[in-house]
Amino acid sequence: MGKIEKIIRCLLIMVATLGVSFALCLFLQEWVKSQTMIPTVFVLAVIMVSLFTEGYFFGILTALISVLVVNYAFTFPYFAVNFSFSENFVSAVVMIIITIIVSSLTTKVRKQEQLKAENEKEKMRGNLLRAISHDLRTPLTVIYGSSCTILDNQDVITKEQVIQMIKGIRSDSKWLIRMVENLLSVTKIDGKNVKIIKTATVLDELIDSVVRKLRKTYPEQKVLLELPEDVVLVPMDAMLMEQVLINLLENAIEHAYGMEHLWLKVHVENNQAVFEIEDDGCGIPEDKLPHIFSGLYSVNHSGVKPSDSQKRNAGIGLSVCATIVKAHGGEIGAENRSGGGAIFRFALDLEE
Amino acid sequence: MASNKYKILVVEDDEKISSFLNALLEANDYQVVLAETCGLAKMMFNSHQPDLVVLDLGLPDEDGTVFVRDIREHSAVPIIVLSARNSEEDKVEALDYGANDYVTKPFGSAEFLARVRSMLRNTRHLLSEDFMVRGKFVLDEMVIDFETRKLYLNDVEIKLTQTEFNIMTVLSEHCGKVLTYAAIVNAIWGYPDAGSIKKLQVNMANIRKKLGMKPGEDSYIVNELGVGYRLKERTEK
Repeated sequence: MGKIEKIIRCLLIMVATLGVSFALCLFLQEWVKSQTMIPTVFVLAVIMVSLFTEGYFFGILTALISVLVVNYAFTFPYFAVNFSFSENFVSAVVMIIITIIVSSLTTKVRKQEQLKAENEKEKMRGNLLRAISHDLRTPLTVIYGSSCTILDNQDVITKEQVIQMIKGIRSDSKWLIRMVENLLSVTKIDGKNVKIIKTATVLDELIDSVVRKLRKTYPEQKVLLELPEDVVLVPMDAMLMEQVLINLLENAIEHAYGMEHLWLKVHVENNQAVFEIEDDGCGIPEDKLPHIFSGLYSVNHSGVKPSDSQKRNAGIGLSVCATIVKAHGGEIGAENRSGGGAIFRFALDLEE
Repeated sequence: MASNKYKILVVEDDEKISSFLNALLEANDYQVVLAETCGLAKMMFNSHQPDLVVLDLGLPDEDGTVFVRDIREHSAVPIIVLSARNSEEDKVEALDYGANDYVTKPFGSAEFLARVRSMLRNTRHLLSEDFMVRGKFVLDEMVIDFETRKLYLNDVEIKLTQTEFNIMTVLSEHCGKVLTYAAIVNAIWGYPDAGSIKKLQVNMANIRKKLGMKPGEDSYIVNELGVGYRLKERTEK
């Protein structure tokens, strides 16, 4: 399908350019009474077509048509083919050479641009990988180190120490599990070309699942819900959207210091379901707001590296949210509340 | 070994996982039989007649769903499937072949034990026909009267439409088991079509509203996102 669309697009460009050139030449001939500019106009047409179409085909076709048109319409006798072989042959060859040069140049430029974009993507992927491997090292050290210590020193260490270390193993493996789930979600999308499969999901069921899953990790945390009264169906990849909401709620629980209330609100507005995750904690420093979804703000932008003991998954969790929401055709935003705390907001299209 | 202990067949090819499941189940007073392959599992199943099967879907010789299908040809023993995340299709397939429940890897010991316990408790109730009292299905404070086609919650009648009542009937017949969307649709409308899952979801949303269930709170109908629904097990008194 894409190929046919491309060909039609190129064809349209060619026809339009030739049409405009033809009209321009008619105008020049009628009003300026000059013929010297006509071949120049068609050379321009050939260059334009070569620039804006892909490959050589349309450029060369334009060149041949131009030669014929100039011969037919704009050389004496007007509007009749006057076939003088050598003259036409030379202008055709010149036109084709121009086409080939321009086309090869544009192809080269395009390839370079593509390479540049790929490099950029590769760079981002590299950054993410670096951040993750940095983050993975600490929990792995805890798990490996603790288990070795327990196995090798069974006779010396106290039972309390063993319990302490096993608790460390448990909490860090839990963290690893959450991280792996995030990574799996991202690989499910990976690249903007892969379209996610949306299924109509009942809003209440999504929220129900999110709140119950969150309770497994944070049994004490209350989430205040404000949902529409009616049954609302939202097309989405439910597993991924669940991940987004859990990440955002977890982010508030882990980072909004002094938080007393945590809200999960959804309302319908302009044929969209607007999701808001709101807390009354410490809010987000203004200088960090623009980078909060880039995944690496804590490492790259704050100037100071965070210590290993700080909670680590903030950046990655939020960048996963941004990626998933984007794959759904939405945009996620964060701002500070006037009364203290932060709001994270995004919207999903409802079914028509 | 005491014979009144529940016997659990664990089919798992990863040695580390089966070893911790073994330790966990034995520590909680269950008798454990281990099998690493589908072939071995079939043999163990026939010779040991377990009360519950815990089954990993990715086995070296055959897909776990094959084993589910084989068992269901001659036995109603409860099956809990261990599945990896990101594979809703596998879960749905195993459930449609007759598995009762699933636990997603990685899982914690508490979560796993809870599922094992409720699964065993539930089948015991179903077998003793404890649920059914004179044409009525009783689950905690909810009563479904099949003769008068009425549903009561805390002795108050909840007005349901025909379809809604039929859905509750199907769920109650498989109380505790996860029913996939397709399974419920087939039982209610007989055939699946493009809009039938949505129809089911909307009906279910209305039932939940009528029963006064709120998102995130424990309720009679447990929603398994992307998979199906389950009527909760009876709470032990």
